[in-house]
Amino acid sequence: MIYRIYSLFFGVLLLLSTPIYALEVIEILGGKASEIPIAIVPFDGLENIGGQKAHQIISSDLNRTGLFRPLNTLGISNPPSSDININYTKWSAMDAQFIVVGKVESENPVSGNIKITWSLIDIFKEKTVVSMRYIGKKSQYRAIAHKVSDNVYEHLTGSKGVFHTKIAYVKKVNNKKYSLNVADFDGFNSRPILNTTQPIISPRWSPDGEKIAYVSFEKKKPVIYIQNLRTGKRTLLANFKGNNSAPAWSPDSKKLAIVLTYNKNSQIYTINADGSGIKRLMRSNAINTEPSWAPNGEDIYFSSNRGGNPQIYKVNINDDEISRVTYEGKYNLSPSISYDGKLLIFLTNDQGKFKVAIQNLISNQVLKISEGPADESPIFAPNGHLVLFTYKDYGKTTKIGTVSINGLKRLPINVGSSIIQEPTWGPITN
Amino acid sequence: MKKSLLLLSLVALFGAGCSSTPLDAPGDPSSASNYYGVDAVTAEALGLEELRGNQLLSQRSVFFDFNKYDIKPEFQDLIGAHAQYLNNHDPARMIIKGNADYRGSHEYNLSLGQKRSVAVKEALNALGVDDSQIETISYGEEYANQECQADACGQDRRADITYEVE
Repeated sequence: MIYRIYSLFFGVLLLLSTPIYALEVIEILGGKASEIPIAIVPFDGLENIGGQKAHQIISSDLNRTGLFRPLNTLGISNPPSSDININYTKWSAMDAQFIVVGKVESENPVSGNIKITWSLIDIFKEKTVVSMRYIGKKSQYRAIAHKVSDNVYEHLTGSKGVFHTKIAYVKKVNNKKYSLNVADFDGFNSRPILNTTQPIISPRWSPDGEKIAYVSFEKKKPVIYIQNLRTGKRTLLANFKGNNSAPAWSPDSKKLAIVLTYNKNSQIYTINADGSGIKRLMRSNAINTEPSWAPNGEDIYFSSNRGGNPQIYKVNINDDEISRVTYEGKYNLSPSISYDGKLLIFLTNDQGKFKVAIQNLISNQVLKISEGPADESPIFAPNGHLVLFTYKDYGKTTKIGTVSINGLKRLPINVGSSIIQEPTWGPITN
Repeated sequence: MKKSLLLLSLVALFGAGCSSTPLDAPGDPSSASNYYGVDAVTAEALGLEELRGNQLLSQRSVFFDFNKYDIKPEFQDLIGAHAQYLNNHDPARMIIKGNADYRGSHEYNLSLGQKRSVAVKEALNALGVDDSQIETISYGEEYANQECQADACGQDRRADITYEVE
């Protein structure tokens, strides 16, 4: 038994830990790894807090990834609430490979704090993988449940979970009210950080989590702002002649790649986050846009129609050397690179239908992971295992959703009935 | 050089026009905002009567095919008329605003709209118009019909000619 104490924004006590399992990204992409059957057992005690139940939150988190198949645990008699006296035969007969059990208790009646004790149990090996205790405020209940999901995910896949991260998106009402909103990754706890009467596009969360860069049309043309999320203060990054658009952060959050036109067509530049040091990257007669900075800090992926129709290319920022990246399909755009630099997602026009496609940058194998017909704005989760994108609900109203990179799970993120577009995903923070 | 001299003299002319004409003088048509809210001298320098009245000059939109930005022959007359107008009225300033239909990404459509406004600018350049008279920007798909079907989307694939004074 190893005892360790972690201090997060809420208290965490790690009771027991055994070595993690590892799932290769390549396995996930090939779609060969079957979904792990897992039973998230309803937690004992005060599980229902304002209609929210921990086991449902965890179940829904894991289900989104396309790597787990949460089993139906309703109607199970005498559900266990700890890793003591587990009936392994019964769970094995239900096909459960792992189970999560736990209980929610009052930690301190005065502060109203709650205590969640939970275990992840391996049914095949008949042993506990991890047991932990979280203490926090009732208002942090969903966040704590997401932390449980993160832990389960990390123990069973070897990669960090993204269930405790934030997303941002643009909400559009009646073509005259636009807002930039921040929410939990599953759409809960949303709040506007900017309201305006003109379009907002291309929000991009800085890798350090502190800022969001975006394009606003409030000056009657596209200009780029950077907004600090803690202070709410914003600064004008680029307001050059012509259009200013497509901000993309460097991995160290110190620079951005942006697109400027002056009086010509779109070209990519780099600029320091304080607005100094503008530098043109390359020039061609064709469109060069939608930069996405690779994690190595040296390559910038972008879309360009230099070959006729748009395709994805990459350019090395030190020597301006350009190479083409996508060959499958006649019309590919909107590149986004995974945080490990191994995967590329983009939008592909598949016989008139716009779908999200994923390319393994080592083998160059391509897989279409959404159906279309009008999907857009694919952006990687910070662990590279999920993709946030937009689709047209019933062919009409644009909404956001996630798709697992194996293409198995496409699920909506419900943030209201308005038009929801142009999403971005914040980093994993502690 | 010639151009900047001309501009200077026009500025002087505007200045003179402003100082010699009392603002909002009742019943004086020369001082009223007859043409897009500018005084008569400016209106004349800019040839606003022509701009407003000329059948070709009142046409302001150049339409394009899907994912294309080459100018179709049927728009040559319209572009020719605007080129002539700009060549004859040095202080006139044109802003070309490119647009795209909703299909594809917001950013790519912004670039595509820009390509369209630049295509119109270059057609004007070819007819002798100086770059200093034209600004090109794009709205991409931001003001496009997000639910258009088939041919109806063609309305959004255009570059709009506007003038600063308007």
